[in-house]
Amino acid sequence: MGRRPSPHMLRYATRRVLESVLLMLGVLVLVFFLVRLTGDPVSLIIPMDAPTAQREAFREIMGLNEPLPVQFWRFMSGAVRGDLGTSLRRRGEANLDIILQRLPATAQLALAALAFAVLVAVPLGLAAGMRPGTAIDRLARGVGLAGQTIPSFWLGMLLIVLFAVTLRWLPSFGRDGFASLVLPAVALGFAGMGQLVRLTRSAVLDVRRADYVRTARAKGMAALRVSLRHVLPNVAIPIVSVLGIQFTYLLGGSVYIEVVFAWPGLGSLLETAIRDADFPLVQAITVFISLFAISIHLLTDLAYVALDPRLRRA
Amino acid sequence: MTRRTVPTLILTLLAMIFLPLTAQAQGDRLVVSLSSDPTSLFLPRAADRTATNAALPLYDSLVWINDDLEIEPALAERWEISEDGTEYVFYLRRDVTFHNGEPFTADSVVATWETGSDPSNDYANFFDAADLVEAIDDHTVRMTTPEPNAIFLTTLAIQWGMVPPAYIRDVGIDAFARNPVGTGPFRFVSRTAGDRILMAANPDYWRDGYPKVSELEFRVIPDASTRLAAVQTGEIHIANRLTPDQAMALERVAGVRVVSYLNDRAYYVGFKNVGAGAGTPLEDPRVRQALNYGSDRFGIIAAIFAGQAEPIPGFVIQGNLAYDAEAMPPFPYDPERARELLAEAGYPDGFETSMGCPADGYVNINEVCLALQRTLAGIGVEVNLEFRTTTSFWSQPQYGAVGAMFVDSWSSTIGEALPRLEGALVPGNYYTAWEDERFAALVEEITLTVDRDARAALYREMHELMRADPPFIYLYQPTIFEAVSERVQGYAPRAAEEYYLFQVSLD
Repeated sequence: MGRRPSPHMLRYATRRVLESVLLMLGVLVLVFFLVRLTGDPVSLIIPMDAPTAQREAFREIMGLNEPLPVQFWRFMSGAVRGDLGTSLRRRGEANLDIILQRLPATAQLALAALAFAVLVAVPLGLAAGMRPGTAIDRLARGVGLAGQTIPSFWLGMLLIVLFAVTLRWLPSFGRDGFASLVLPAVALGFAGMGQLVRLTRSAVLDVRRADYVRTARAKGMAALRVSLRHVLPNVAIPIVSVLGIQFTYLLGGSVYIEVVFAWPGLGSLLETAIRDADFPLVQAITVFISLFAISIHLLTDLAYVALDPRLRRA
Repeated sequence: MTRRTVPTLILTLLAMIFLPLTAQAQGDRLVVSLSSDPTSLFLPRAADRTATNAALPLYDSLVWINDDLEIEPALAERWEISEDGTEYVFYLRRDVTFHNGEPFTADSVVATWETGSDPSNDYANFFDAADLVEAIDDHTVRMTTPEPNAIFLTTLAIQWGMVPPAYIRDVGIDAFARNPVGTGPFRFVSRTAGDRILMAANPDYWRDGYPKVSELEFRVIPDASTRLAAVQTGEIHIANRLTPDQAMALERVAGVRVVSYLNDRAYYVGFKNVGAGAGTPLEDPRVRQALNYGSDRFGIIAAIFAGQAEPIPGFVIQGNLAYDAEAMPPFPYDPERARELLAEAGYPDGFETSMGCPADGYVNINEVCLALQRTLAGIGVEVNLEFRTTTSFWSQPQYGAVGAMFVDSWSSTIGEALPRLEGALVPGNYYTAWEDERFAALVEEITLTVDRDARAALYREMHELMRADPPFIYLYQPTIFEAVSERVQGYAPRAAEEYYLFQVSLD
């Protein structure tokens, strides 16, 4: 790079950034009003036999007696300044601190799931694409289909019963050393792996008919060398572009997996916050995840345009 | 990207995956599951049973309720109650120190009361039970209550975990909750949010010979099937809140035994004589009796709970003071009798009414609502079900909420029916939808009666009144299932699902 960005490019980038900001504002509005449609949190927090005066005192302390527009203004102006409020249940704790405590566990799980998906899917898809119709191809298609049809939470339970309870190879839950990462990462990454196998296979099928591959073959280059030197680099572009999107899906999918495996990340935190009617925390987590997802999409889009000259004029 | 960027990036990612993980030592460590992450380890903010169970090992109160449900001395060696029952003088033990080294004195009791009644606490009401707590000298405390209070000592035992005055006044409640300090059998070591709480035995514990294990670890495992798997693999020693099916599946598993007990929680249908119920056939006591005869609680228990629940006769249920299985049988399922009563009341063809249901608010509650609708249709009463999400269902005072009737449940942590009677039958309370002066007066009398036998007699009187003129359809109390490793000795959970782990040892 180093060249001056073209006016097209600048205009495109500005438009995408503005769109992202608007989208984020939309998410903030939606989240605020959706959680409030579910009812009054005070009734769930204060014990059933508490006197009404205690209820009202609590409502006041938590700012829940203010009119909705005032609460909304507080939330929005705070969010814009990076202040995501304090939890109703974990009193005195800033939501952002609670989220940041849980973030490493979720990031670790999502990365491990992604690593699992890539490490299994790419070699398998490559082998299948290079030898269509063979046993390995049938295996790859089977794995691809299984990945996209088996629900992850069910797979998670199955893995626990098989590898933890029956075989006793791996721990059944928690975050306790590398061994405990294996099952949740496989369960979470399985769906993405299925998609990646199919994607890699079809990309390889396209590329292997290309002239430069035929030429390399004709020169007598070994099959493996052809795969690694000529096919893999060219299928890498579509794969990498899907990975960013996959990562945001993994963050969302982690809600089930984290609950099943008692993995102390953002997903299980969100589940608890919803169950506890902890409005401010639900809002904060949703905003945080949305911001993350929107940023990844924005960066992916901008990176495409920067990398692929054909897209610049689009 | 240069040639080096890619390997560096990959190495960084791999490091992120592997580095933060460390293996864990086991040894003499008791590991107990929690079905949710405790909201707080400061008892007045410990929102539910899971949270109080995790917090209890850190603290002691002045008195303790022993395994026979009798009140016995703990941090107070003895106490005196004034003639009129409104003044308590406690004489404190002199050999107790907090985990941080502060001595336990009368000032600790004052600080516990002051910080406990802070309005930002969920359970501030438990501390409002006393309107004055004062130190007479270093080891003597006087408490006064606004009026005689039958359950004052019980409230102390359950909720008043003593806190060190200098520390909590210095750091405030929020910081205290993150690093709690008490006099209890275990001291706080560390907490990983959403994951685990680690405690170590208090070497200076005032109860000689306790606790029996050197470390105590709570692990947060929200999913019941995962708790089940973890106790089978030996990763945890106590798995709580299992379903009947899961408990049955464990019967053939070596090394694990199932613990089951009846929960002190009454499930019921509340009638309303205010709001949507006012002026409807439900105001006639014969109709409410008819609905009790016409509800097949036995069928519901058999079909929906696989037999793992008990029908209840009223609000005084198994495990409560004054409960008597012989003298207090549940309403039989007798549709014939129900139709007769309806005819007597002037509704030979039944009538139409409505019932609010907290969707998914309790185990199998949706099915219970549907079953009630069907069983009542059998006596000609057509019930329109109004399902609401739990937050919406409990969002407003029950008298204003949906339905002329509503399904709910009420637990008690004190071995007596008083909390549910007070909460659901005293006019003006949030969940009271049946207003009747006779009920309210009798509940008031129970509240003021400090003598246990006299109170038991009042509970029996209350029971008879609530049978003759039922303000509820009495349904069932569920069985709780837990699985415990065979290494665990001395584990005795109570009817309100609470446990004290200082007596538990590992073989």
